[in-house]
Amino acid sequence: MKHSIQIILAFVFSCALHAQVPQHIDVDKRGDFTRIIPISISGFTGEADSVLKFDLSVLGLEATSADKADYLISGSQNASLEGRLQPTGSNSAAGNGFAPRVYSGGNTRSQAHAFADDIVKAIRGTPPIFHTKIAFCRKEGPNMELCVSDFDGQGVVQMTHDGTLVATPAWSPGGRHLFYTSWKSGYTQIFEHDTATGKRSVFAAYGGGNFNPSISPDGKKVAMILSKGGSPNLYVCDSDGSNLKQLTFERDEASSPTWSPDSQTICYVVHSGRASLRKISVSGGKPQLLPAGIGGNLTSPDWSPDGRMIIFTSGSGNFTLWITPAAGGEAEQLVAGEDPCWAPNSRTVIFTRQVNHNPVLSLLDVPTKHVKDVGQLSGSCSQPAWAR
Amino acid sequence: MKTLNLISVLFVGAALTLGLAGCKHGPVTTTPIPGANQPTPPPPPPSSRDNGLPPGAMEPTAPPVVVSTNGQIPFDTTGSNPWAGPLKDGVEDKTTLKADTVYFDFDSSTIKKTEDKKLEDVATYLKGHMADALRVEGNCDERGTEKYNLSLGERRALAVREYLANLGVDSRQVTTVSYGKAKPAVEGHNEAAWSKNRRDDFVLLVPKTP
Repeated sequence: MKHSIQIILAFVFSCALHAQVPQHIDVDKRGDFTRIIPISISGFTGEADSVLKFDLSVLGLEATSADKADYLISGSQNASLEGRLQPTGSNSAAGNGFAPRVYSGGNTRSQAHAFADDIVKAIRGTPPIFHTKIAFCRKEGPNMELCVSDFDGQGVVQMTHDGTLVATPAWSPGGRHLFYTSWKSGYTQIFEHDTATGKRSVFAAYGGGNFNPSISPDGKKVAMILSKGGSPNLYVCDSDGSNLKQLTFERDEASSPTWSPDSQTICYVVHSGRASLRKISVSGGKPQLLPAGIGGNLTSPDWSPDGRMIIFTSGSGNFTLWITPAAGGEAEQLVAGEDPCWAPNSRTVIFTRQVNHNPVLSLLDVPTKHVKDVGQLSGSCSQPAWAR
Repeated sequence: MKTLNLISVLFVGAALTLGLAGCKHGPVTTTPIPGANQPTPPPPPPSSRDNGLPPGAMEPTAPPVVVSTNGQIPFDTTGSNPWAGPLKDGVEDKTTLKADTVYFDFDSSTIKKTEDKKLEDVATYLKGHMADALRVEGNCDERGTEKYNLSLGERRALAVREYLANLGVDSRQVTTVSYGKAKPAVEGHNEAAWSKNRRDDFVLLVPKTP
């Protein structure tokens, strides 16, 4: 308990520093969110070793030699996995190591993921993500099919076999239902797909285009783009498809809805001359421009689950990811890429990166700007959606 | 330095919350893994994949709407698929109006003067073939995200639908679909390819002759 109190005091102190003199960053190691932290991993082989290295790298914890590491990660694996975390040198005062823990059940992969989740929680203070799923579109000849896999690209399951196009997958909260745009009918319709049973249904098939669904974090509403009124505009309805309401009345077009965590506000894109970000209440009213302080086309926003940030894509061709406070403010450039989607930890982002004009899914640790490709996936994969 | 500050401030509050919660950890020695050995359920067998999907999407239920607002022309039914109606057993004709493919400037859905003649041809054809329907397929070059290009491609198709209506074509004859950037006409990563990909293609839906 003594250690716990020290940690609390250290955090309160570091937060006070940030709040009062943010221009002088002088915080303890645990509060150093924007630094890539060197770690050393020993005692593991094969799959356990590779899973640990990949997972920790995604959070900006990079394996190096023991003498350069801020943390020593050690253990062993048999039927179960045993692992411990030890801070080194001056860092040991942080007190965030832990004595050997045993991870049993499941398989080596899931044991290593669970150990990595504990390490990340201890060092970065963020919640677990290593057992979460992603959905994405994979090019199959001239067509696209919808796929689901673990966050690291393992265990890919192809969800559609329609031999047509599919786009803009979005998860219901909790990650059971997938909503997406399908061209199966020859026109765009929004499908709802229960990943547990495989059953799916047409969610929206109004006259004109039906695409880009986004489910509210409370699960009660679905935002989407419909052109039934003559232009692509933002609509919202209940999760059973009823109570359809038009929210925007653009002459040109709206796109890319994303929800605030309290399910009260939708951020989206308006194209009128150029593309900019707007926010509007779920009950309608006057849209507000989200000032980002930069020019160019701003598209594909995603609101962080903790509500603090909106990440989006800027550019026309040479895309870059940017982040801005959800309340508006000066945007900051991150890395090259497009179509970002937050992980449930509000720190990691999955996005699409062009490699020789071929889309590749990649993971970004936002504070350190560290990028790690989801290397296990083959083919052209795009439009990632993280279950959260 | 500015970047560091913004990100630090944004993240630090969340970390405080989580850090406090994390302090409850005692010396746990065994961590059973919930959900382990539960792979993603496999997709259903082919016979049941289409469960819940009606064969002809939604049938038209509402009466025709002819209201135009600010130049926009609403769709007159709740059904997006004209194949469900009289054209259910029709055939696609992608060749008759192939030469009339309309091209757009970058990031624009404005019909250019150079395209007027093509659209007059299309309008004349449709007025002479009232039983046919036209599917306008909006497409974009690769320089926009998929979500953005879905809307832009739809807007391009709608722009042609409005233009044809102004030339006297019954808008109920014209449907739209956007492919975003998924169906480029020309592969390539330069203006020569992009200019060919920013387009509306025309597909006629022709009733099957008895």
